[in-house]
Amino acid sequence: MRKVAAIVIASAFFAILLISFYQIPQSGYSGSEYYYSNPITGSHANESVPSHYISGTKNETGAVNAVTAIVVEYRGFDTLGEVTVLFTAATGVAFLLHKGKGGKKRAEANLILREGSKLVLPFILLAGAYIFIHGHLTPGGGFPGGAVIASGFLLMMLSYPKFFMKEKPVSITESFAGITFAVIGLLGLLFASSFLENFLPLGNAGYLLSAGIIPVIYIAIGFKVGSELSSIADKFKEVQK
Amino acid sequence: MVMHPVLMIAIPLLSAFIMPLIKKAHRYFAFSILLLNTALSILLFAKVYNEGALYETIAGFSPPVGIYLAVDNLSALLAFLINIFATINFLTSRQDFRFSMLYLLGVAGATGIVLTGDIFNMFVFFEITAVASYALVASKKDRKATEGAIKYMILGSVGSVFMLVGIAIIYSQLKSLNLYDIAARISSMDPKMMWLSFSFLLTGIGVEAELFPLNGWVPDAYEGAESNISSFLSFGPSKASIYAIARLLIIFSMSRTYELALYLGIVTLLVGELAAFTQKNTKRMLAYSSIGQMGLILIAFSLMDKTSYAIPAAFFIIVSHASAKSALFLLSDKDGFGDMSSKYAGLAGVLSLIGMPPLAGFWGKWYLLMGVADEKIWAVAAIIIFSAVIEAIYFARYLYKNMEGKESSRNSIPAAVMVSISIVMGILPILYNMAGGVLNA
Repeated sequence: MRKVAAIVIASAFFAILLISFYQIPQSGYSGSEYYYSNPITGSHANESVPSHYISGTKNETGAVNAVTAIVVEYRGFDTLGEVTVLFTAATGVAFLLHKGKGGKKRAEANLILREGSKLVLPFILLAGAYIFIHGHLTPGGGFPGGAVIASGFLLMMLSYPKFFMKEKPVSITESFAGITFAVIGLLGLLFASSFLENFLPLGNAGYLLSAGIIPVIYIAIGFKVGSELSSIADKFKEVQK
Repeated sequence: MVMHPVLMIAIPLLSAFIMPLIKKAHRYFAFSILLLNTALSILLFAKVYNEGALYETIAGFSPPVGIYLAVDNLSALLAFLINIFATINFLTSRQDFRFSMLYLLGVAGATGIVLTGDIFNMFVFFEITAVASYALVASKKDRKATEGAIKYMILGSVGSVFMLVGIAIIYSQLKSLNLYDIAARISSMDPKMMWLSFSFLLTGIGVEAELFPLNGWVPDAYEGAESNISSFLSFGPSKASIYAIARLLIIFSMSRTYELALYLGIVTLLVGELAAFTQKNTKRMLAYSSIGQMGLILIAFSLMDKTSYAIPAAFFIIVSHASAKSALFLLSDKDGFGDMSSKYAGLAGVLSLIGMPPLAGFWGKWYLLMGVADEKIWAVAAIIIFSAVIEAIYFARYLYKNMEGKESSRNSIPAAVMVSISIVMGILPILYNMAGGVLNA
């Protein structure tokens, strides 16, 4: 009876959502159709926020990847927050899952997986590092790069049952990466006028050493996400029975 | 002195990152950071009170292109309340360094929610507090704590998704995430889309704010968690999210949305108080009573557009609930008020909650009734008085039961300090003017 009621309510809700989403006006996007008002000065601008991002990215941030510019510069505070969410989750997992007592022995993986993963691991790490170092130039950045690195360690965990991440270096990497991000933000307050503001030279757009603080922050995020995701995977492996 | 509200968020985050490197002294470190944050919040309030609302751009881009923090009197006061209660409450923690990290992150998130002026930024801080709270609730690691934490986590994450969809709908229509910008241009939005995004956002935030149909997690999480964590939940995330709902109401600012909030508040109040009345277990009783009080705060906020009493009323109920209820939760790990300080904390807390003059709870209910009387909505007044009577009955029962008890909680002194803050704030009539400052939207 409860199941039936749940199904009925859920499908009614789904139908309402479907109808209402169908009615969202598909506003054709044009630059002059929207304007925004600045809350501090009360002035109005004759462009929309997205078109500002598209036109201003290169000059204001020195990055050629607009998505990266939004994630790390324009809305860098949100990214600090998102990194913290992941950090909170990893800390929570470490706090709640304690070391398993032995657990069932898992069989060794087969020869192909074992030797293959050893061969592939350096390339996975390289690809991950490439993705986050070039975050301001090519698609990708700290989050996907870190996830790729963590997937390399996950592969090692799958092929070698005895492979454990050493807790200390992982947590030190995680801490230093987080400290780097927050300290860069505070340095912005010190050397420029506001938190997380760029204080390094922008350089030539399109070069590796350009875009000010973006590559530094993305490298920190890459290390942080990589170490956090691998430590979460490692923690879950420890309690496996 | 140059005051940067962003420091109140950045410093706790930075210290949480530093924490794993200095495992030994973690308790002193976290405590001094919380103390520093409280001092900063006092400075911030002094500045905002003297100079009017304060805006701080982040990353050097003027809003709405970049993010900004918008601090007015009420949000500065709430940031102060959250941080000072967090500091006092932290004295009762006896766990390892990961607990201190999660606690700092939870406080930083709740502070961020009240200070930010950007709706997506608010969502991010919601996530931080919520994820930290799930882990903190589960930290007792027994069956009940796990049950409470899992319920909280499932409802909380569904709530976050709803909130995100609501934000996405607003962005798809207005191409902006800035609260002020949205409020200025909301009327150009299709009314259907306005209602859709409003209901998504209200549902999402309502889970954290313990509103009626979304609060299934509340009794289990409050009962299962360690008593200092139940206390943290009642002054931190819940207060920050009810303030977020107040900002939401101001943004949408339609008489129908205020009306919806009023009905939701009334239902939440009645359900919470009646459930608390029938409850035998002390912590569950306190949890249901919290739901009732959150309903009362929502009623106060929903009258914002009509009467100037609304914001002071909401503020004083928040003060009384954040201090007295948190103190009662701290005392709830033992049955009974054995020593003097817990007798004092329990008695003063209960008196404030049921609204005895001159405590903060009295001023809250007084201003609320004044506001309701101004508007001549007598049915609401009757409901508020009825719920106050129910509250008085079950709290009298609670006092009677606990005053007999010989055992006393280890947390009695922090609880007494918390209640004293509520007494001081209730006596200072000057706060009426302070809390009356306009909310920024």
